[in-house]
Amino acid sequence: MSTVTEAPAATTGTSRGRGWRRYRSSTFYLFASPWIIGFVALTLMPIVYALGVSFTNYDGKSSFWRWVGFRNYVELITSDPSAMQSIVRTVLFTIIVVPLSVALGLVLAIMVNHRLRARGAFRAIFFLPSVVPVVATAIMFRLIFNRDAGLLNYLLSFFSDSKITWLADPYAFYVLIIMMLWGCGAGMVIILAALQDVPVELEEAAKIDGASSWRITRSIVIPLISPVLYFQVITGVIGTLQILVQPMLLAETSSIASSANVPQSTSLFMVEVYNEYFYNSRFGYGSAMLWVFFLFILTLTLVLQRLSKRFVFYQVESGNEE
Amino acid sequence: MTTTVKDQAPAAIAAQKPKTTARKRRRKAPAEADHGRPASFRLYLAVIISATVFLIPIVWLVLASIATPAQFSQGAEGLLNISPTLSNFYEAVTRIDYGKFTLNSLLLATIMSTLTTATSAIVGFAFARLRGKGQKPLFTLLLATMMIPHIATLIPTYILFARMGLVGTYWPWVLWGLAGTPYLIFLFKQFFSAIPLELEDAAIIDGCGWWRIFVRVFLPLARPVILTSFILSFVWAWADYLAPALLLNYDNTTLSVATASGYLDPRGNGLPTIQAAGALLYILPVVAIFLVAQKRFMGSAVSSGVKG
Repeated sequence: MSTVTEAPAATTGTSRGRGWRRYRSSTFYLFASPWIIGFVALTLMPIVYALGVSFTNYDGKSSFWRWVGFRNYVELITSDPSAMQSIVRTVLFTIIVVPLSVALGLVLAIMVNHRLRARGAFRAIFFLPSVVPVVATAIMFRLIFNRDAGLLNYLLSFFSDSKITWLADPYAFYVLIIMMLWGCGAGMVIILAALQDVPVELEEAAKIDGASSWRITRSIVIPLISPVLYFQVITGVIGTLQILVQPMLLAETSSIASSANVPQSTSLFMVEVYNEYFYNSRFGYGSAMLWVFFLFILTLTLVLQRLSKRFVFYQVESGNEE
Repeated sequence: MTTTVKDQAPAAIAAQKPKTTARKRRRKAPAEADHGRPASFRLYLAVIISATVFLIPIVWLVLASIATPAQFSQGAEGLLNISPTLSNFYEAVTRIDYGKFTLNSLLLATIMSTLTTATSAIVGFAFARLRGKGQKPLFTLLLATMMIPHIATLIPTYILFARMGLVGTYWPWVLWGLAGTPYLIFLFKQFFSAIPLELEDAAIIDGCGWWRIFVRVFLPLARPVILTSFILSFVWAWADYLAPALLLNYDNTTLSVATASGYLDPRGNGLPTIQAAGALLYILPVVAIFLVAQKRFMGSAVSSGVKG
């Protein structure tokens, strides 16, 4: 595999005849320039711009703004209890959702990795939710968790008489978790592919040694696919920490981009940021929140990467020259 | 993080690869066939129950969309002895300017997916077949950008676009399209890397420049990846809610925003049955594309899972 990949590099610098070079840096940069320019202009610039704005009291409209130094950051850390609460809430939400989602994906993947009839159909059913646009997902969950006409309260009515207002505090938090878990099929597909790369011989050897299938899964399969699980955790954490649209759309009355109606229990950090920007017109303060968030994610990724060395098993493939 | 790329990427993209390299890998199909253990009765039960649970939201959406508001307000009992009606669908397409929003969505998704597929192919080609100083760190950067929290960067992007007067226009999507999508660039890079050098050599001997080599030799081979890239970016753009909600006005916005906010009674409360019908119409193209191109979705999800 890698021989093919590496082949062009092997010929680098071999000049056949004078003045002819296979590769010129300028050609590479010419071809790569759309992405490089796009990255600088559309990703780097907004982030740096937000950093600049975070040191001002800019409100998004007026031209009367001034530098305020670190005042926004100081305010966020010392005197904004609701932002701090939302950080705690967001971290809690992530700690619940990500492991559950990866575990559920793993269980589903192990299930549909068996020789089943209509295996393809089952895989499609589990994967489909992760393709459904979020707007429709939110509508579906609002229907199921509707107080008066929802399916869940109907099922619960066999056990108790009280109706639960699911989409308000404190239950909205759990509804949001369930809605996130519904999309775990994306992870399932990735884990499934990893499962299929686990050498059959290893499993068979363990079986001959008398290992139970649970034991095989725990001691052979999971360690072998741990890089994939780890990757799922990283992307899951980054994705879940920045959730914004789902709580907004799940809120009972959602008119256009309404974050003001979001129940407190689902008012995650990004929702608070959004509110600061678009309801309180505090662009400076919102930008400071964003930067705290960026730094938090960066630190977390580095920490997770450190930790990974301890319990992620990286297989050294034989015959791979890289 | 990049260490895993080398180990895993080939396996992940195996489906996308030209035939020449297929034999180098453990063959996928037979491996899969004798891999799974045969299923027991208990497993069947577990899978069927899970599948039912996963389908409930969709089934419930369909039921709500064909119920009358009266039946819906009776709750589950009303929905379970339903007398189907199509009036919700009629309401869904007449209460809002459905044709216009659909066209907006189509236009936006087409602009975005065409441009981003073209750019990603070019950049992917650069990373796969060309060499330049600083290429390796740049590629690491490309992989790292996939980790950048996109929602968090969208808000400051909005401010910048607002200052440039691009809010309310489709220009942001043109710009995003022209910049390519790191993930699709990666997909193209993997594909182009696996094409044998001889093809390229032949073209060079014939006197082709790199652009012509790209257009004449590599692009025609990449047809399956182009299709995957187009389908994926189309569905992403179709499904996107936040960017159109932030950057467009109500009259040039997309179907996703209109569906989320269009079906309200005068007091601002949602009309559940009509919302359900609207949502169903809105996801129909996505589900149809998914059913037809299931393998592409799954294959690409797989390569996204090992990209880091």
